[in-house]
Amino acid sequence: MIQTLSRNNLIILVVIVAAIWLLPLVLNSLWIKVVTSAVIFGLAAAGISVLFAQLGLINLSQIALVGIGGWVLLRLNYATGLPFTISLVAGGIITAIISSILALPALRMRGLYLALVTLMTAGAFQIIFNAFQFPNGGEGFWGVAQQSAGAFRRPLIAQSDVSYLRYVLTVAALCIAVAGVHRLTTPGRAWAMIRQSEANAMAAGIDVTFFKMWAFALSGFMAGIAGGLLAGALQQLDARTFVASDSILLFALAIVGGVYHWLGALIAGLLFKLLPALFNDFGVSADLTLVIFGAALLHAIMTAPRGIAGQILSGFAGLVKHRETSHD
Amino acid sequence: MIDVKNLTVRFGGVVALNQLTLKITDDVVGLIGPNGAGKTTLTNALSGFVTVASGSASVNGLNLIDMAPHQRSRWGLARSFQKVQIVSDLTVEDHLATVLDAKGANRSLRDKAIVRALDYAGILSVRRVRGVDLNPFQRRLTEIAKCLVGAPRVILLDEPGGGLSETEMKELRKVILGIHPEFGAQILLVDHDVELIRDVCTSTAVLDFGKLIAYGPTAEVLEDEVVKAAYLGRMGAAND
Repeated sequence: MIQTLSRNNLIILVVIVAAIWLLPLVLNSLWIKVVTSAVIFGLAAAGISVLFAQLGLINLSQIALVGIGGWVLLRLNYATGLPFTISLVAGGIITAIISSILALPALRMRGLYLALVTLMTAGAFQIIFNAFQFPNGGEGFWGVAQQSAGAFRRPLIAQSDVSYLRYVLTVAALCIAVAGVHRLTTPGRAWAMIRQSEANAMAAGIDVTFFKMWAFALSGFMAGIAGGLLAGALQQLDARTFVASDSILLFALAIVGGVYHWLGALIAGLLFKLLPALFNDFGVSADLTLVIFGAALLHAIMTAPRGIAGQILSGFAGLVKHRETSHD
Repeated sequence: MIDVKNLTVRFGGVVALNQLTLKITDDVVGLIGPNGAGKTTLTNALSGFVTVASGSASVNGLNLIDMAPHQRSRWGLARSFQKVQIVSDLTVEDHLATVLDAKGANRSLRDKAIVRALDYAGILSVRRVRGVDLNPFQRRLTEIAKCLVGAPRVILLDEPGGGLSETEMKELRKVILGIHPEFGAQILLVDHDVELIRDVCTSTAVLDFGKLIAYGPTAEVLEDEVVKAAYLGRMGAAND
């Protein structure tokens, strides 16, 4: 088992490195931007998966948390001279703290009720973002300038769009690796026990409150990093990006992509950002994607609980098995 | 020694445990009584899953009632559930590892502790099998093995014999009997199966309507007329 695990990890590593170096070479400037935001929202979807796959909790406020991470990064960019990466991590940590505070209702609720509470939160942040906008170099705490925007600093190693895509891919891969390590170690086991039965988890000595808040913090951290990366990609943020309905859409797409594997989150990000752009490119209304997403969600719920990623991986596993048996 | 004093638990208007006082000194003690007598309520009160209205429950002088459930577990109170709680996507050894995670067990000792408990329970061969692929008896043994890691002081077993076959019961009896000599924990065994209680428990307490109606050496208790009337008699009447 350990051998197959390390072989899989090796394949994953090769794919990631290849993607980081190859993708920017084959894409033109428009598609580099699209793929960058697809990867960023894939990272946010991976945060949704942590909560849903590990604890069975539905969080419909992920896009709002992405907005918080973006807000913090922009705020730090204009208020301080900190390097981009440090602001990015700070945004992730602050979002993680806010996310774990939002977890407090989740200690008592699950299912539909938790979904509703998180959706209300998303709605509240939508209003806050609309009212105060995102910092762009202005005065005061909210930092919104009416006329010209201030200077935005990208990371020194990633000034161009091409190198920034590489930066985004690297950061996203690191975050998803951190979540993967969680799955395989103490928190992953504790989450699995809690998902099964909280009484059973407590009887095993697990501090249920702590581990639930930890899951929300990790999920929020990933959203916060995604928000910071998005701010860096666009160099400014607009309140219209962070509407509550998009949180629902991203959650649905995380299910469609598959919550049990990082590949599913990547697929969710691609569906969320790449598909509408492709439709636009073909001259078809991007709203049509909603119809496809609806059908895909029904398909996932009815026949593919592990999502598209699950189907791809089991197909791949079948292929490997077939080859191995034909070798014998 | 488990020392329960004037323990009262209420669910709304129902008094599930009524001023229960019980001193448990033997190594393996049985707890029996008809349905609704308060057996599971007592185990839940000891492990912290129900709110106690009044009274105390202390083990070796430490009052458990003030501690959160997970703290009691870390202190050394292990329990199994009436309905087996096995996580389908965790392996057998991962189930035991969660207990050791919570107790902050040393990494090098962890593997030894897991192997020892699994070997004792006779399920070492399935240590890397996931919960979903276990048969009911292996699930039951996994739950018991989970109670054995991390130096338990008291083990509460809530109907471990439920739904097992004759041969499996025989195996289970052996496992339960060996726990105290091997791991040193005191055992409180709740079960409907009088045969199991007779075979493994040196003393037995009988509850009825939240009150202790008999307590003493198992053989004497089971012959007690009050117990027969409350427990066996009533069961006989129900069968008629």
